[in-house]
Amino acid sequence: MTRATSYLSIGVALGVTGALIANVVSAATPGGSAGLSLYRLVFEKAFDNYVETPDPTKMTNSAINGMLASLDPHSNFLDAKALKDFQTSMRGEEFGGLGLEVMQDNGLVRVVSPIDDTPAARAGVMAGDMIVKIDATAVKGLTLKEAVDKMRGPARTHVAITVERGDLKTTKVFDIVREIIHVQPVRSRIEGGDLGYIRITQFNEQTYDALKAAIAKFRSSGVNVKGYILDLRNNPGGLLSQSIRVVNSFIDSGEIVSTRGRTSDLYQEFNARPGYNLSEGKPLVVLINGGSASASEIVSGALQDLKRATLIGTRSFGKGSVQTVLPLGADGALKLTTARYFTPSGRSIQAKGIEPDFKILEDIPDDLKGKVQSLGEASLQGHLKNGTDEQKGSDAYVPPDKAKDTQLNAAISLLHGKPPLIKASNEPAK
Amino acid sequence: MIRKVSYLALGVAMGAAVAVLAPDALQAVAPKAFATAADTYRQLNLFGDVFEKIRNDYVEKPDESKLIEAAINGMLSSLDPHTSYMDADAYREMQRSTKGEFGGLGIEVTEEEGLIKVVSPIDDTPASKAGLMSGDIIAGIDGVSTQGMTLDQAVDKMRGPIDSAVTLKIARGAKKDMKDYKITRAVIEVQSVKGHVEDGDIGYIRVTQFTEKTGSGLRSTMEKLKGEIPADRLKGYILDLRNNPGGLLDQSIEVVNDFIDKGEIVSTRGRNPDDAQRFSARPGDDLSDGKPLVVLINGGSASASEIVAGALQDHKRATLIGTRSFGKGSVQTIMPLGDNNGALRLTTARYYTPSGRSIQAKGITPDMQVLEDVPAELKGKDDNLGEASLKGHLKNQAEDLSASQAYVPPDPKQDKQLTAAVDLLHGVKHAEAPAPAPAPSTTPNEAKGDGPKTDAAPVPEPTKSN
Repeated sequence: MTRATSYLSIGVALGVTGALIANVVSAATPGGSAGLSLYRLVFEKAFDNYVETPDPTKMTNSAINGMLASLDPHSNFLDAKALKDFQTSMRGEEFGGLGLEVMQDNGLVRVVSPIDDTPAARAGVMAGDMIVKIDATAVKGLTLKEAVDKMRGPARTHVAITVERGDLKTTKVFDIVREIIHVQPVRSRIEGGDLGYIRITQFNEQTYDALKAAIAKFRSSGVNVKGYILDLRNNPGGLLSQSIRVVNSFIDSGEIVSTRGRTSDLYQEFNARPGYNLSEGKPLVVLINGGSASASEIVSGALQDLKRATLIGTRSFGKGSVQTVLPLGADGALKLTTARYFTPSGRSIQAKGIEPDFKILEDIPDDLKGKVQSLGEASLQGHLKNGTDEQKGSDAYVPPDKAKDTQLNAAISLLHGKPPLIKASNEPAK
Repeated sequence: MIRKVSYLALGVAMGAAVAVLAPDALQAVAPKAFATAADTYRQLNLFGDVFEKIRNDYVEKPDESKLIEAAINGMLSSLDPHTSYMDADAYREMQRSTKGEFGGLGIEVTEEEGLIKVVSPIDDTPASKAGLMSGDIIAGIDGVSTQGMTLDQAVDKMRGPIDSAVTLKIARGAKKDMKDYKITRAVIEVQSVKGHVEDGDIGYIRVTQFTEKTGSGLRSTMEKLKGEIPADRLKGYILDLRNNPGGLLDQSIEVVNDFIDKGEIVSTRGRNPDDAQRFSARPGDDLSDGKPLVVLINGGSASASEIVAGALQDHKRATLIGTRSFGKGSVQTIMPLGDNNGALRLTTARYYTPSGRSIQAKGITPDMQVLEDVPAELKGKDDNLGEASLKGHLKNQAEDLSASQAYVPPDPKQDKQLTAAVDLLHGVKHAEAPAPAPAPSTTPNEAKGDGPKTDAAPVPEPTKSN
């Protein structure tokens, strides 16, 4: 029996996550295939005859990375150190870094989103930025893990990040001072006088507890909360288990999500447990955008299918697959795509995303026009296919000044009884 | 006993290669320490674990051979840029190419102002039988426009398995009338050696790559030239190795031996000191009668070309004219993997010129540096970036050099390197190259004051066969 973790996120390491224990049995077949013996033959010939003595660990890691890259963009090898970082991040523990959620894209490293209140966010690094250089090192040719390792480091040390932004490939250099990144998954406040605003930045092991605490705080604040705004914009995902608990905090019964692996015995259905609904049936608006991925899409998809929430914003990212962390002993672990998930109505959002009920665009400042789109799952090389109507590209900009945040203001208006002017059906999604 | 082939070339497809039996050298591997053997075993097990997990748990049933191929490519990319895996098809292509053959149409093409243009169809090939003509513009290949394609990409698309068909859209004449030609690919023999009489009294020999037929091709070319120029008039030879990416080690040795009678030509050293091999000239094989020799090199002269240029320079047998060579100082061995599994092309040794220098990531600096005039539209695109700029190249101390000019004008009259060679053999002083020796230490670009050129542009070659 192997201990495994189900993980849903775009991006690795610098972000997110929480651990769900799913018991995935890896039935290792003894013996091996013809392919495996060819691999051994090449490995041994190269190891014995190469002009210099090669490092067998480096050869193996490169082989594993090459193999995983041929599968899909979310399957990765985590060596012992990367696994440790990953677990740290899943537990929501602290590390010295910039506060960036990143992922591999076309041999470079793309920013999925800067984490709120971190040096990266303050310096102005934005979702969609392509990191091309870290200090003097070109990112081209580095693995994601190598790039992340270079960006992390002790607090108060400097790192210079060169990014390309937008189609015109404007290059920008950010000199950023590393800080201890406190991964704080939930932030909350009262908005519009009587609305409970809850921002979830990622789904790590502490997300559900933090959500519960936020709702309790509203109750004890003396404000008679009329409704909730759940902000999942630029939330790259995290743990499946946490996304299920978050949904359950707003509903009493019904299916939340199901996952399907390659074979029928790998089908799993997750249902709401009675007694966990914290919302007292109050109206709910969920904010999503092109940077809302994976676990965020499970939450918004379930709440939309169950007609529990109204979704406002732009189409979500479209990551409809589940990764499982399969331990490899002292060598680290394998983060492997093992299943697709389906919302309660049975739809897969893979490479399509979730369309909001009200499509509301933010006003993007001129200097950022065309530069703050999330390209989405469908534009990732080697993504899992999902029919012919895949969708790519959706805005992922959130104005730093909440007075200018059109999506947030639309949510407040709606909960105060004024529906936004633009209805989704009037505005055909592109 | 596995048959092995020592191979020295930059690219696979265009490149050369001839089979040399390197008998026991590679079997003699230093005994590994136990710890290392255990580590290797552990790494193989780790890979096996990962492979099994993917096989069993991946969301879709994976294509196992695709997985293994991606793994092998990943593993080899951690070594150096000349080590690679060839699947069964690629291996067959390579074997054909080392024999001096490939599946193609039989046309020489060039790139002119962004267009792919037929220089000439080769006699008795599918292209000439189909009626393609010199000057035809190839506008499309199998329905794909050639607009924006590099010459290499167009050549790759036209090549393919024997007996397969390709449709070319041809624009001909001033009116650019379009017509489709459906042509069936056949075995095309590559002429790796061509020669002609230059300026009445010089034997000019161009070697485009080192295939199995290069040694014999050179001998017959030299015999022919001797028949055309009386010995008392023959002023010397020009051996043109520009943009020659290399090929077979044994053929490069034969080529050197045609110009020297004795002495070491090259030595190779693998990981184990016992693997060192020395190759020396066989007396009696020198065909050159001691006539003066000029060798032309540039940034596109690599590998086997550099063995030839380096040996002839060290022996003071030739004067090298042109620009610094590519700098590929490693030897690849082709190791067949049996059972239709293709082959491994593995870097197994470095080679050293007779004076003991390794040209790896440095190249050979000519005795007379002569730069070509590069047309304005090709400026900045004519450099070959060289071995030192390849990611993961084998290191050679601190002074790795990259980027060297690799342009050869299509019109011989404008070919300043060729003119300098002819002048030298005629005893004319050449203004641009005052000091034949020692070799200048500046890079061509600095010498010309053009500033550094770093564009990763394809190497323009005057023509490509296809």
